[in-house]
Amino acid sequence: MNLIIRVTLLFVLVSFVVFLIGGVISFGVMMRQVNSEQRHFLNERLDRVTRMIDRRKPEDTLRMNKLIIVPLDENLEESKSFRDTLVVHTQLERLEPHLKLDAIKNVGGRSYQVVMYDVIIEPDDIKEGLQESLIKIYLILLGAIFVLSFLVSMYTLRPFNQTLEAIKKFSIKDQDSKITFPKTGIAEFKRLNLFLTEMTEKVKSDYQSLKEFSENASHELQTPIAIIQGKLEVLMDSNKLEEDQINQISSAQHTLNRLKNLSTSLSILTRIENKEFDKVSGLNFSGEVERMLGEFKELIELKSITLTSEIEPDVSVEMDEVLCELLLTNLINNAIKHNWEDGSIHVSLTSEALEVTNSGPDLEIDPNELFQRFKKSNQSSGSLGLGLAIVKKICDLYSCRLEYSQANKQHTIKVALNH
Amino acid sequence: MKLLLVEDQAELAISVQNYFLKEGDVCEYANSFAAASEKLHGYEYDVLVLDIMLPDGNGLELLEIVKQNWPHMGVVIISAKNALDDKLKGLDLGADDYLPKPFHLAELNARTKAVFRRRLQKGENSLSLNEIKIDLDTHEVLVHDQLLDLTRKEFELLHYFLVNQRRLLTKQAIAEHLWGDYMDTADSFDFVYQHIKNLRKKIVKAGGNDYLETVYGVGYKIKSS
Repeated sequence: MNLIIRVTLLFVLVSFVVFLIGGVISFGVMMRQVNSEQRHFLNERLDRVTRMIDRRKPEDTLRMNKLIIVPLDENLEESKSFRDTLVVHTQLERLEPHLKLDAIKNVGGRSYQVVMYDVIIEPDDIKEGLQESLIKIYLILLGAIFVLSFLVSMYTLRPFNQTLEAIKKFSIKDQDSKITFPKTGIAEFKRLNLFLTEMTEKVKSDYQSLKEFSENASHELQTPIAIIQGKLEVLMDSNKLEEDQINQISSAQHTLNRLKNLSTSLSILTRIENKEFDKVSGLNFSGEVERMLGEFKELIELKSITLTSEIEPDVSVEMDEVLCELLLTNLINNAIKHNWEDGSIHVSLTSEALEVTNSGPDLEIDPNELFQRFKKSNQSSGSLGLGLAIVKKICDLYSCRLEYSQANKQHTIKVALNH
Repeated sequence: MKLLLVEDQAELAISVQNYFLKEGDVCEYANSFAAASEKLHGYEYDVLVLDIMLPDGNGLELLEIVKQNWPHMGVVIISAKNALDDKLKGLDLGADDYLPKPFHLAELNARTKAVFRRRLQKGENSLSLNEIKIDLDTHEVLVHDQLLDLTRKEFELLHYFLVNQRRLLTKQAIAEHLWGDYMDTADSFDFVYQHIKNLRKKIVKAGGNDYLETVYGVGYKIKSS
């Protein structure tokens, strides 16, 4: 959910609660005010009535509109009490709640009972009026909030959205493009932009040095390896060597060869990560699979492995040619390497997926770790454990799903083709 | 064969130079772009073995100059930059072959000799060892003038031995020569053994001598006698 919408909804909710409580409070305050105002009014009227009694000195009971004056025979103490009562309303001709003032007044040495009524303003009437006005105010407020949130997202948050857009366009590979953020007067956004500028610059320079390192590392490693290999070969060629010495040299060469493969594989992994293989073109995948199986035919036969294949013709993929070859080489090599003598390999290709199934001993490692670097089923084997890591990297690059499954000592690696 | 080696790593250059000198070839050595172009202008060479990364310039530029001035000179690129771009660019610019570092000296020798033969030995293009003769154009092998039926790999194997006649070829060098990048396991040595066995059998059956000598289980060599 959008930030502004979320804040707005929260505000609407909170203001609703505030209005509810505010309504109850206003109602209480109003009722109190109305009551005290009414008593005040009756008190004033009582004063006027007292003055009138003083002038006219009535002998009989006097009944006027909402006023009864009764001259009393005995002298009583002055008193005053308010009561709520129901009185027939003369115009409406129905019972209406009234406030009744019942007082004893001593005027000119005689006591009078004075009873006065006044129509009470009903709580229901106040409630209704209050409700109506509050709802109207609330609606106006809602409108104002929505207008405000629109303005905020349009103007106040614009620099933030522009920053987001700028980050989205940021490419770590593109060294020339400098990420520029819009000018803003808001301190938080200023700080955010400053921080992002520094961070992207840092990331770029780190990436660049890492890239340079991996490029150079490959070169810098291959040259000494080439020198050592040359020296060992020249040494081996001299005629005065004993069997033991030749074996020592040969063993050194084997180890050197592992080092060479290691540096090549790591440099390939790095270059895939750096997206350096970007000559993507439509490839005839069926043809490539057939061709690679041809290349490996001999190696497969020499291990007495039976190869069967079901290849749907004219399956095409969008892929870099070198990566396509690396993918197939590593998959087939893997199927040969982890196989038995007289084992079997089955390759099937449909427009949906490529599947390579081979016989072989059970995995000694967690299948989930199979595609990680330097994870190999047999730790002592001569394999580096990088082949399937390369396969995984290539599949990740092209968003192809890679799955491993096994049943009855048959191992299947499935590459889902992404069309 | 007269060749010029352009390589900035002196240690590697000396090994390569020694190898070719032992073969009876003339091998001169330049350690920079400048030294190389000086030598190219002063002398004539059959084949140029060229490293792309030079301290004072790019080997590919030197390649362009060579192809303009001496179009008949064979060029083999050796590079530690395992970049496919360089390989394609080099071959586009007219290089005859590309060998990534590190390489086996025997492999460089075989590739260089092949380039030399293709470019300069017009007419007969063959190698021989006493009664065994191989024709590099038609891929035919004759033993006592009798045609031998070899598979492609067996032919390549025999060719490799004949080019490096005085050398000990390790199983590893042979495996890499035959299968290149596709092979990276120790299993490959059994495959080498199988191919050697078959090749021997076929030559002996045709009345040839068994020249292939096993050296302490490490590799093979053509018997000197």
